[in-house]
Amino acid sequence: MLDLRLPSGLFFVILGAIVLAVGLVQPDLRAPLMDVNVNLYSGVAMLLFGGFLLLMARRAARK
Amino acid sequence: MKLAAVDYVILAVYFAFVIGIGWMLRKRMSTSGDFLLSGRSIPVWITSLAFIAANLGAQELIGMAASGAKYGIMTAHFYWVGAIPAIVFMGLFMMPFYYGSKARSVPEYLKLRFDEKTRGFNALTFAVMTVFSSGISMYALGLLLHLVLGWDFNISVLASAAIVLAYTYLGGLTSAIYNEVLQFFLIVAGFAPLAILSCERAGGWQGIVSRLPANMTHSWHYMGNASDNPMGVEVFGMVAGLGFVLSFGYWCTNFLVVQRAMAAENMSAARRTPLIGAIPKMFLPFIVILPGIAAVALAHMTGAGGAHLYELPTKLVDGVVVKDYDQVLTTLMSKFYPAGLLGVGLTGLMASFMSGMAGNVTAFNTVFTYDIYQSYIKKDAPDSHYLMVGKMTTIVGVLLSIGAAYVATMYNNIMDLLQLVFGFVNAPLFGTFLLGMFWKRSTGHGAFWGLLSGTSAAFLTWALTVAEGKGGIFGSLHTFPSTMAQNFWIAIMAFVTCVVITTVVSLATTPRPDREMEGLVYGLTKIRHEEGVKWYQRPALLAVIVLVLVIVLNIWFA
Repeated sequence: MLDLRLPSGLFFVILGAIVLAVGLVQPDLRAPLMDVNVNLYSGVAMLLFGGFLLLMARRAARK
Repeated sequence: MKLAAVDYVILAVYFAFVIGIGWMLRKRMSTSGDFLLSGRSIPVWITSLAFIAANLGAQELIGMAASGAKYGIMTAHFYWVGAIPAIVFMGLFMMPFYYGSKARSVPEYLKLRFDEKTRGFNALTFAVMTVFSSGISMYALGLLLHLVLGWDFNISVLASAAIVLAYTYLGGLTSAIYNEVLQFFLIVAGFAPLAILSCERAGGWQGIVSRLPANMTHSWHYMGNASDNPMGVEVFGMVAGLGFVLSFGYWCTNFLVVQRAMAAENMSAARRTPLIGAIPKMFLPFIVILPGIAAVALAHMTGAGGAHLYELPTKLVDGVVVKDYDQVLTTLMSKFYPAGLLGVGLTGLMASFMSGMAGNVTAFNTVFTYDIYQSYIKKDAPDSHYLMVGKMTTIVGVLLSIGAAYVATMYNNIMDLLQLVFGFVNAPLFGTFLLGMFWKRSTGHGAFWGLLSGTSAAFLTWALTVAEGKGGIFGSLHTFPSTMAQNFWIAIMAFVTCVVITTVVSLATTPRPDREMEGLVYGLTKIRHEEGVKWYQRPALLAVIVLVLVIVLNIWFA
């Protein structure tokens, strides 16, 4: 059976990398009511979440 | 709102993943049971999140933010009163019968417990309802995407339907459930930042409380009198109508959600599915409702130059400008999300739409294949035939949903009416199940006539009362302060009628022998104690934790 943590982990790693890249390349990008680089923080958060899922999948596969 | 290239890339990555998951599961679909029931083999953390996500459609996301802006924190009652208690009840007391009876669907349980006509009535109304509700949400999404992004209505409706069709056709229920979990994560990733940012900008919860009328930031305090609170509902109508009849009717008997728990790998996992799902469910208001409440506070605040930080969106209705609360969520996104995160938020919205639609389609094809086709059209075919029918029904279900979406564009008022009619059908159902599962004397004739009379009672209550100018086609015996109060009371009347008629007719008809009902009724079923299950996996303990948490939340925001 397909371990769902694998594709969803991969998805969030890719998503996080894209958003983080935007935060790094265009650090001055802002929305009307937002004055921090929100792409940077949420990119990192999504990357960590994806990495966590992949780690769990790998641990389960080793058993 | 304008999207950047990166936002489209994110959307494309997401589409590739949902179809990819369906593609990877396609080889496992060798029997109708694999396709329609997931072969009862899914791990519990996945079924739990799918249980919540199948209900979290785009209409809920848009509607909860809208209600947050309109009614304030009282909207959380739809979760803390109108969902959690029913979910706990279903896991603890009803799942043993659903899962243990080996029924493949909710209508099939009715057939095993009562008789053919009760199943037929439930299967048909359910099939029609699922098609129309997925059509209506498709319509709502198409309209919103057109309004906000200028996308073509036809293309967005057809493309999103095609993607849902692709992954449900390839991987059946398993694919729908797997994707629902991915979609749930994405909804949280896409909307949690909005909740945090908008709340922060409005000065935190204290800042919101200081800017809003008090009856929008207290969920219970102003419920003594219907005229004191923005919903126009009093405590009894709320607790009995929403908290008891409507929510138990939905969460305990709607096959769309019950199906997720029935796909779990064993009885213990099936019972834990709703209980574990209840935990994220009770915290969802902070993601889906809070932005709506914060939006109202922002609309009261002024920035540099004296301009308001945010204006509540409006629309023209018959030449009059009124608030368009349905646009609160998307306009707020455009205020807080730069390119990049905006793509994530928009993808989250698409994900919620897809999880809702796939939930409807996978419930529809199971009920149609087993409860309508196999029961009334072709009884004794080999399983491969039903697998084929299940796959074809998936296509037909999507096509019918698209059709329903277009019916909605042409006759907007008919959709209002249909949703009302569905309410009539659903409201008495919990009465039937309650008596069926816990009173062995109730009979098939009792159940059928109880359901029918409960539905009629709902219709009569609507036809004889008026709220906000609606209902009352036969005259007006009572005027409700709001349509919501009217809905709650319709549900209460339907439930009481159903229970009374079922009881009376059951006592007047011959009971079924006990031995035929083993495993279907409380008292005739040995509910095996959780042998070999670790203490922290026991359903009763989980239920207590969930209930304590939800009571704390209710008191906190009272």
